[in-house]
Amino acid sequence: MSSSPNVPAVEVAGLVKNYGKVEALRGIDLSIAPGEMFALLGPNGAGKTTLFSILSTLRTPTSGTAKVLGRDVVVERDATRHDIGIVFQEPAIERSLTVRDNLKLMGRLYGLDAAAVRKRTEELLVQLQLSEAADRPAQNLSGGQRRRVELARALVTDPRVLFLDEATLGLDVEARRGFWKQVRGLTVSGRSIVFATHYMEEAEVADRIALIAEGKIVALDTPRNLKAQMGGGVIRLQTTDDAQAREWLVQRGYQPAPGVQPIMLEHKDPASIVPILLRELPVKVERVEVNAPSLEDVFLKLTGKALSDETAATPPAGKKGGWS
Amino acid sequence: MMSGIWAIVMLDMQRFFKERVRLIAGLIQPLLYLFVLGSGLGASMRMGPPGGIPGSAPAFDYRAYIFPGVMSLALLFSATFAGITIVFDRQIGFFKAVLVAPVPRAAIGIGKVVSGALQALIQGTILLCFLPLMNIQISFATVLVIPAMILAALTFSALGVAMAARFTSTNVFPILTNAIMLPMFFLSGAMYPLQPAPVWMQRLAHLDPVAYAVDLMRGALLGRDHMFFESPGLSVAVLSGCIVLLTWSAVNVFRKGEELDLTGPTKFTWRK
Repeated sequence: MSSSPNVPAVEVAGLVKNYGKVEALRGIDLSIAPGEMFALLGPNGAGKTTLFSILSTLRTPTSGTAKVLGRDVVVERDATRHDIGIVFQEPAIERSLTVRDNLKLMGRLYGLDAAAVRKRTEELLVQLQLSEAADRPAQNLSGGQRRRVELARALVTDPRVLFLDEATLGLDVEARRGFWKQVRGLTVSGRSIVFATHYMEEAEVADRIALIAEGKIVALDTPRNLKAQMGGGVIRLQTTDDAQAREWLVQRGYQPAPGVQPIMLEHKDPASIVPILLRELPVKVERVEVNAPSLEDVFLKLTGKALSDETAATPPAGKKGGWS
Repeated sequence: MMSGIWAIVMLDMQRFFKERVRLIAGLIQPLLYLFVLGSGLGASMRMGPPGGIPGSAPAFDYRAYIFPGVMSLALLFSATFAGITIVFDRQIGFFKAVLVAPVPRAAIGIGKVVSGALQALIQGTILLCFLPLMNIQISFATVLVIPAMILAALTFSALGVAMAARFTSTNVFPILTNAIMLPMFFLSGAMYPLQPAPVWMQRLAHLDPVAYAVDLMRGALLGRDHMFFESPGLSVAVLSGCIVLLTWSAVNVFRKGEELDLTGPTKFTWRK
């Protein structure tokens, strides 16, 4: 709690990480302010977990630097470990121990004395509404409760920076909503929260979002500005001959997002353009969708890829067969 | 440092007492060796004194002779397998939670070794209760078996931790430890005297920490005459050296965090 408010919570410059021939991170630069809620949005395998592994001292970068609260995470490992809390994708609590014993264990690992361990454990149990489950073995908890225990575990030392790596993995919609409500309450007293997700709805709660794909940041801005890139709306077309339709659109000066299926077109006034398209396109239009731009659309536009397999594989209702 | 060791030991002991089955099951094998194999073999075998020099050692029965060997068996298997918690913890994310805590890596290694040794010593202590049933003269020197047991348990636990630190698969770990432990046990002279054994076996026994541990315990229980190695001091030094080296090698793995993990599935990965 000693650093000045001007020091970035996280500062990463030119960060590269290779696993043998695989390039997991290909030059990441970002700076996250104290008190900021920051999302890393990208599909599985984009490098989010690798970035967290480096920031949490579990891995070392191939090149580049990473600092937490102004301290280099490779050089000052112990100081970094004191400053951060992290929730991993995988469960990281001992299943056979009770919730209370799990938290006490973590308190001891963080060097708290017996009295402080007790005090902090009880505080966290109340704060995360786990008092009622405190004496149950972790394996008997519901998925949502278990993630709250993970959160409590990461908060044992009251960290200035909290990392959440796909922390809602495997939770149903209800439990996910509850989890984020809890997390939003944690940005108190200048604590920064950096979280990775491949659900765009989750990223919306962030102050800023970095869209990350194949080890690189492809865009970084507020959710509003990211979506503003897309103009007024997004039109999706499915036709009897997409290739021909695409060609025609390009000739007419429209800019369908390259490589995206179905045809995706952004326009500042979709409502007025759709009738024209329907009338003039030389191929038969089978389906039209007009939506306000979403983060998913931004990602599709920038990378030509979907955020998650689920969204890509889910055809709209009523559609027979796949999009491609 | 101390609080880190304490945290790790507490964790493992809490888990150990939740799995009492392991404690009971772990005792079955040593008791079988002692009472079934020991009684059966002992009845059909007339053993001469070690070294084949008549009259140089007092008469003794086989079961008493193998008691320290069986003790080392109990300690070896339970201490080495205690290390498997590391592999389990790696398979889920729990070990990462330990590694991101600002606890010294040495504390993690020492804590793991100590807790494994404690678990083995609990079994060893239960086994020790059968000592009065053996044909062993109890004297003041008998007490020396306790420090010998502690040294042995620490050595075997360090061996288990040093191996477990390098595994991510709970399938492979027991197979490999068995493949290493059985030869170590057979060569140790736990079940027979090494003095009349072929020279190659005696040589190999010099490389076997289990042999030194058995020898120390046997010396404490049966007297100097039954000891194989040159001096108890040497055995203590060898075992202490093993504890330090093996613990250090595990700590070195912990220092690397997740770094040795290959990409892709972690199952069946052999960490170097």
